[in-house]
Amino acid sequence: MIDAFVSGFWQVLAWPAFGYLLIGIAVGFFVGLLPGLGGLATLALMLPFSYTIKQPVEAFCFLLGMLAVTGTTGDITSILFGIPGEGSSAALILDGYPMSKRGEAGRALGAAITSSVFGAMVGALSLALSIPIMRPLVLLFGSPELFIIAIMGVTFIGTLAGASLLKGLLAGGVGLMLAAIGVDPQTGSLRYTFGSLYLWDRLDIIPVVVGLFAIPEIVDLAVRGTSISEVPKTKLVGVIEGVKDTFRHFWLTVRCSLIGVYFGVLPVLGANVAQWIAYAHGVQGVKDAGKGAVEGVLGPGAANNSTRGGDLIPTVAFGIPGSGSMALLLGALLIVGLNPGPEMLKQHLDVTFAMVWVLIIANLIVAGLCFLILNQLAALTFIRGSLLIPFLLFFVFIGSFTANNSLADLIATLIFGVAGYFMVLYGWPRPPLILGLILGKIAENYLWISTAAYGSKWLLFPSVIILIIITIVIVAYPTIKERRGRARYERPDDAI
Amino acid sequence: MLRKFKRLRVSGFKGLIPLTLYLFIPLSLYFNLSTVTSACAQEPFYKGKTIRIVVGLSAGGGYDRAARIVSRHLGKYIPGNPEMIVQNMPGAGSVIAANYVYGVATPDGLTLLTPHNNVYLSQLAGHKEVKFDLLKFHWIGSLENDDMMIFMRADAPYKSIGDVVKSKEPPKCGSTGVGSSDYVMSRILEETIGAKIDNVVGYPGSSEIALAMERGEVICMGLTVSTYFTREPFLSWQKKGFVRFLAQSGRKRNRRVPDAPTIFELMNEYKTAATSRRVAQAMLLGGEWARSLLAPPGTPPDRVKILREAYEKATKDPDLVAEAKKGRVEVSPTKGEELQTMAKEGMDQPPEVIEQIKKLFVQ
Repeated sequence: MIDAFVSGFWQVLAWPAFGYLLIGIAVGFFVGLLPGLGGLATLALMLPFSYTIKQPVEAFCFLLGMLAVTGTTGDITSILFGIPGEGSSAALILDGYPMSKRGEAGRALGAAITSSVFGAMVGALSLALSIPIMRPLVLLFGSPELFIIAIMGVTFIGTLAGASLLKGLLAGGVGLMLAAIGVDPQTGSLRYTFGSLYLWDRLDIIPVVVGLFAIPEIVDLAVRGTSISEVPKTKLVGVIEGVKDTFRHFWLTVRCSLIGVYFGVLPVLGANVAQWIAYAHGVQGVKDAGKGAVEGVLGPGAANNSTRGGDLIPTVAFGIPGSGSMALLLGALLIVGLNPGPEMLKQHLDVTFAMVWVLIIANLIVAGLCFLILNQLAALTFIRGSLLIPFLLFFVFIGSFTANNSLADLIATLIFGVAGYFMVLYGWPRPPLILGLILGKIAENYLWISTAAYGSKWLLFPSVIILIIITIVIVAYPTIKERRGRARYERPDDAI
Repeated sequence: MLRKFKRLRVSGFKGLIPLTLYLFIPLSLYFNLSTVTSACAQEPFYKGKTIRIVVGLSAGGGYDRAARIVSRHLGKYIPGNPEMIVQNMPGAGSVIAANYVYGVATPDGLTLLTPHNNVYLSQLAGHKEVKFDLLKFHWIGSLENDDMMIFMRADAPYKSIGDVVKSKEPPKCGSTGVGSSDYVMSRILEETIGAKIDNVVGYPGSSEIALAMERGEVICMGLTVSTYFTREPFLSWQKKGFVRFLAQSGRKRNRRVPDAPTIFELMNEYKTAATSRRVAQAMLLGGEWARSLLAPPGTPPDRVKILREAYEKATKDPDLVAEAKKGRVEVSPTKGEELQTMAKEGMDQPPEVIEQIKKLFVQ
């Protein structure tokens, strides 16, 4: 095992594997930065190139290395411009962007990147540690458990609602309704498609997220007529401060990383869900949540990176992809002659460890790179808005378009952009809508499957009962805590 | 309105071997005697042109992979050696792509379509969103056979498909959705021989169903034969003897699944009524023309001819076969003319058959 661990390390550092890794990192760096343009779409674009690579390790150095860094650099765009760099980086906007507006972009970026590296480490470590127990771990979760976990996610709407719980719940409800759009897999009937073929395949998450979050911020920037930062450039509040924040909230970062791993392991749930759960967990009980609390940056920053390690667990152990991007990666691995599955844990253990090393090395390199240019990046927030807006709009629409290469996605972006603008104007929270949209489909499918497979018996499974109890505790926890002592609740440092 | 939107993802490879150009100019002249004079005066139509293959599924999947393999080799067999690019236009089970190529793209032999195998089911079901008629397309050829099979955990009480027919309690099979090939196959077994299968529908993909099989959430599933024999976890299953094959959809038994009866054998055994037979025949068509290439109606006949001949040659090219093998595509091509006949026979069904299909598969 140790041999394989060491051998994996040298395989990644060997030439030309390391060269491919650097190319992957370079591509991933920009893909992450550009709003909307996501790791998944880019992976699909890059796939034909990887067909010409001969060695499996070289192929995933390129592809996995690219994927690994998109999560980190995606956070940067979310924080600086309030525009999600990746679908899985949207949660960083909630507190990261207010920090930028306050002139604290440096600190937010420092925190996001440090927590990202942290998350990647935890993810890679979990992948390495779980190798002996991978199979039972993945088999632990059946459809009933997945359904309850989706419901658990829905309950986080309460935490994400912000000022008005009622508005939050209504927004979440709208999200759940939007999730019903499309061809229903159970009966094949068309729901809310209004004769449009585009709506057959359900709403894609990217145009909705980009529309809801990016367009209102761009409009706001245009209306304000200033730079993103509302305070003049005096002194950049240090990047080092952000790094320190990560260690100040060490256990919070660890917990949020583990949330990411956990959601990565589960099929269908991934970084898109994990970020919101980690955010909700991070800001639970934090007084200035949504106004620039660093906990709201650390949580999703760590979680959206650690999911990559989690995603790889079922992919490696069963040849069953843990997410859309893993499905594409799996296809690439098959072509270069690697067949993920049990043999990855025996004969090809060194290759599995090489994957662990790719995750770690790629994130360390990109973090180093980011820290070098962080001050320049943060300086963008002091540029006059009118100079930024054309570029932002351009990239926002390019990003939405590349999700499916469909012009209809641009219309969806515009529609949700308008909706997002009015939601901001009238104080309606946007995260519950996104969470409802993502989880609605999962919850519906797995409720159907559970009932079709087990009748009503699944409700009495011990695992299901335990998960229900956990859900109730999560919902009731803030209330209980509040009763125990208001003084403690109001201390922003105590972020449990 | 939306169906008209062009989706652009363009990438492809040059397949240029200038020498073959000179080889094929005389050949194309020979086949196009009527245009000899004009062809002498000018270069082959395809010279300097780019052929676009519109794939009705997203990049990275099996259809995309197959189309890209074809795109890298087809050009060198077409006089003029055109460049070939692949464009993905996913959505609505390829209906969007088929509508586009049928109604929007210019039928000049430069735009071709690779739809989902089962896109014809949307047409048979009479969805009003379907704006194409698959029978009017010119079929160029198909790359594979997608024979399906149903298999079950070996520790389940049912030992054969006959046990399922006799059993009072139907086995639970996992499936992705009502339009999917696995679901179609199980409904056909019920329709033709009365083997009732309880479909647990809604899994995101075959990988998730495989997991559910391992957990015992469901005990059976349907999958193409080629996928089963090239992917995990199925390879391990095969080694362990984890599953037993119950039935297969091909006309002949697949050599790798010698013990499972075909639906056609079963229909003879159970003396299936004529209407149900026709339903089965129509519903199983998709497997026969996997990864097919079509040209829209109105494409000049001489170009259809060129494309068909080039396709036939390209699918015999050792380079293509080797590359396909690497990409886990098992090449077993069918000629365009055969597909055209097959489509006509399979889709031209009397109203009662169509009614039955709608009843079975459309709500």
